[in-house]
Amino acid sequence: MEKNKDTLGLHTFMQDRKTLFCYSGPLTEDLLTTISNPVRHQLSDKETEETVSKRVFGVFIEQAQNIIRYSTQKTKSTGDSIGTIAISVAEDGFLIEAVNKIDENKRDVLEATLVELSVADQKALRQMYKQRLRDGPPEDSEGAGLGFIEMARRVKHFEFNFVESEEGALFVYRGWVS
Amino acid sequence: MKFEKTQRTPLVEIGSSSCLIKGECYPENIAEWSGPVLEALKKTLADANTQFNVDIELYYFNSSSAKFLFDFFEFLEESSEEGKKIRINWRYRAEDDTMLEAGEDFQEDITACEYNLVIVEYASEE
Repeated sequence: MEKNKDTLGLHTFMQDRKTLFCYSGPLTEDLLTTISNPVRHQLSDKETEETVSKRVFGVFIEQAQNIIRYSTQKTKSTGDSIGTIAISVAEDGFLIEAVNKIDENKRDVLEATLVELSVADQKALRQMYKQRLRDGPPEDSEGAGLGFIEMARRVKHFEFNFVESEEGALFVYRGWVS
Repeated sequence: MKFEKTQRTPLVEIGSSSCLIKGECYPENIAEWSGPVLEALKKTLADANTQFNVDIELYYFNSSSAKFLFDFFEFLEESSEEGKKIRINWRYRAEDDTMLEAGEDFQEDITACEYNLVIVEYASEE
């Protein structure tokens, strides 16, 4: 009976918070390819303005790839990155949420980068993006080092924090698009 | 030379005097995808002795692909400086501010090639 309650609870919880899409587990590029279209359909179903759904999709892709590249929690057999990513309907748009385990040693750098991005205006963000393109990726980046700048440009506002857990530091991200 | 579009990569068509890139670009591994494309473009452009037109019509690209586009334009600039006549048309949909801004950003670093921002009235996703 208790377990049944949990299952129904999960459903009700997701419905009540208007979560359109949520995935928690090993995330791979193959899986991202598979879920891209359903996520888009969900977005176009809820949002008539294509520019808004494209922004949501952009943030979703960048953050999903962040998890794939930087989550330090891996599956035993294949070493796939584990994390959680969700898109929900928020007051006047959408909320993109993500959680993943990060390398404790990279926390300070990540925090400093995100603090800088969170206070920058659109003009400054655009400038930072261009500068990063010209300079090339930073040393420890597996992508172009542009992901968080791109996300900051697409969201209206974002929040983040680090939570200590038994398995290490968790990175928690919330970005609003409208 | 034609690279068919996939769910996460655009169509690329390279002719003797033109190159078209159209669609969306957020591949799993940008270097893996862009390597053969750049290689084909280099070969074609080496033999081109008339005006070479590059048309780019993207609806979405991720940040890793932005780096590819930057390198792609840098190559075109170098070719232009070496004497090739190159015209780049950055095509974007009228309401697509994100793609307009991206087109403007790339434009800032382009001096040798002719570069146009072109509004497309209607663009099919196909």
